[in-house]
Amino acid sequence: MEVKAFLGGINVPHYKSFSEKQEIKEIKLPKQIIIPLSQHIGAPCQPLVKEGDRVKAGQKIGDSDSFVSAPVHASLSGTVSSIEDKKIHSGEKVKCIVIDVDKKQESIEYADNDLEKVSKEDIVKAVKEAGIVGMGGAAFPTAVKIQPPPDKPVDALILNGCECEPYLTCDHRIMLEKAEELLQGVKLLQKVLDVKKAYICIEDNKMDAISELSEKNDDPGIVIMKTPTKYPQGAEKQLIKATLDREVPPGGLPFDVGALVQNVGTAVAVYEAVKYNKPLLERVVTVTGQNIAEPGNIMVKIGTPLDHLLNECGGIKEEPAKVVMGGPMTGVAQEDLEVPVVKAITGITVLPPAMAFGELEYMECVRCGKCVEDCPMLLYPNQISIYGEAGMYEKAEKWNTMDCIECGICAYVCPAQRPIVKFVQQAKPQIQNLQNSRNNT
Amino acid sequence: MNDKKKLVVSSAPHLRDKGTVGNAMRDVFIALIPVSLVSIYFFHWYAAITIGVCLLTAVLTEVLFRKMLKKEPTLHDWSALLTGLFVALLFPATTPWWKAAIATFIAVGIAKELMGGLGRNRFNPALFGRVALIILAPLISFIDNQFAALYINLGTVDVMTQATPLAMLHQGMEMPGYGELFFAFPGGALGETSPFFLLIGAAYLFYKGHIGWRIPVSILGTVVVLTLLLGENPLHHLLVGSLALGAFFMATDWVTSPFTNRGKVIFGIAIGALVILFRVGLAPTEGVAFGILIMNGFVPMIENATTRYQFGRVRKAVAVTSGEE
Repeated sequence: MEVKAFLGGINVPHYKSFSEKQEIKEIKLPKQIIIPLSQHIGAPCQPLVKEGDRVKAGQKIGDSDSFVSAPVHASLSGTVSSIEDKKIHSGEKVKCIVIDVDKKQESIEYADNDLEKVSKEDIVKAVKEAGIVGMGGAAFPTAVKIQPPPDKPVDALILNGCECEPYLTCDHRIMLEKAEELLQGVKLLQKVLDVKKAYICIEDNKMDAISELSEKNDDPGIVIMKTPTKYPQGAEKQLIKATLDREVPPGGLPFDVGALVQNVGTAVAVYEAVKYNKPLLERVVTVTGQNIAEPGNIMVKIGTPLDHLLNECGGIKEEPAKVVMGGPMTGVAQEDLEVPVVKAITGITVLPPAMAFGELEYMECVRCGKCVEDCPMLLYPNQISIYGEAGMYEKAEKWNTMDCIECGICAYVCPAQRPIVKFVQQAKPQIQNLQNSRNNT
Repeated sequence: MNDKKKLVVSSAPHLRDKGTVGNAMRDVFIALIPVSLVSIYFFHWYAAITIGVCLLTAVLTEVLFRKMLKKEPTLHDWSALLTGLFVALLFPATTPWWKAAIATFIAVGIAKELMGGLGRNRFNPALFGRVALIILAPLISFIDNQFAALYINLGTVDVMTQATPLAMLHQGMEMPGYGELFFAFPGGALGETSPFFLLIGAAYLFYKGHIGWRIPVSILGTVVVLTLLLGENPLHHLLVGSLALGAFFMATDWVTSPFTNRGKVIFGIAIGALVILFRVGLAPTEGVAFGILIMNGFVPMIENATTRYQFGRVRKAVAVTSGEE
């Protein structure tokens, strides 16, 4: 099946060739891992261990009583050396459990459950215990997502294998190498959500993944969908629009239109959690870019420091480089390499000196309208950037800044090089404050 | 492992399209070169000097005004040069050089820089400069007298003395053939000499993504419809005067046209109607310039009236079934 396109969006260069043919591989273990207690949207975890404690790989070391949260686990065995605030990739300081890794690894024991016999409650519990979060980058706790409010029934499950970000190939490799697990995971998600129809959406620049999954799939309830290769095809709202022709209303969630979107990697994690009671302690990370010696798709233990990962991939070739956590359209450029890889990190893009620009000098908006033409949320990024820059947040709110998904297209196409996404990111909390104070009076 | 790597950071996105304002302005400049060459072919040094004077004045004016305003000159964005070329193309070759220079000075200095610079100017600078000379006619005739001695006489180029096609049309004279009017015909302003070469330039800009179809098509479409209704010859109206230059190059100016799609259509239709109003009902010349300038003033109002709803705002009723399709 093929889908219709959403409005707006652009073709960006793919740059997928560095890593798309590289099989998922393991790397040497790091000497130390850093496990942030908050790797998700929602309440941070409280540590369950203290300095000096011995931990096994897979052991839960942080948890929270809040509904919207996800526990964290030791990804390797070792000794807790400290629990302290450390900077993570977003630039925030977060409480982290630092573990000195053992030479000889010791793991918790895994189960081997019969998937025919598991109940809905078993699935929710396994997903919650495994600490699974959305692995496409959003990091929303999956256990919460698979329990939609009763008044918002879901009738369509969408598996997001679009991977529309340039450079990244982790989802591509997962679909190729873990097709069986993915399909099993989809069935579990269908079961827990009581959804008969699931769509696995894949951009047509990954035809091998489309044919692999079509071949392996024998369930008529699962449809392999070919989507056009267009950025941001993998953005949740755009994907729902393209697949189901339903529009999530402003400020709304996919539930509001009876849809639920999960990343393909998340579905695999769900399978492993339900089948083996295996927590989310590792994930596939694409290490790529013109400026990394050996690009690849790496199975990385959560908490692995970025510099270890880069060294294991042959290191940065030329400096000054730009190291982006995530893809180049939405990822965060890193100031230093001691930050850990967390559950939501899809890739590391290492850009060469020629592409490693800092903040660009920009001009006044020349009103060319390119951002207006291409905005997939049908906003007016030009106006938002003008009012955001001027600090006129009420005006910025009126131009629907809060609906922005920060896909980066506006800044990508802007001939005046305006940092529109940055203006949006600055304006959003200010507008939130305005809205809060209005609600309080 | 602790050696500090040299890393560059910036806000996302970390990829950028190659298109910059400077490149776009340069492309528009390139797109105007064919028609400029046609005008030089017809009017020899007269055209070349007008173009040269305007380009030079534009650059000097921008540097002067930006120095006065304590801003860095931004010649690399090509906008000054482009405005200069536009002004030159709006004048006939017989225009004394100082008049072209004054118009350019007003265009770049007042209509652009004093309005806040590129991006903030409400009116198309080149058209503003051109029209300012008409409005300031008494002052200009005074200056003409002072400068008369400086008129550069390069001998006669006989095509310069004939009536312009627009004047012929207005006076009901017999018109040259369509082919001649379309490909190249001397008469009128430099930019009026060849709709054909303007179209080639416009095609290039369209291919490059700098201009869209909405504004030119709605201007030209309106002109055709109105001329048919008024019993005029639509082809003559399309081919004469600065309609092609205005519709493809000046009404499509990024800064001074609406950024909404429906707004562009309304803007174009209104310009087309004004052009015909001026041409048929009022003075025979500068209908295009006045039409575009007047509508430039309405742009914010048009934009406000034509904004689209954001994604998800107009929500179709969603029939959420219980899993069956």
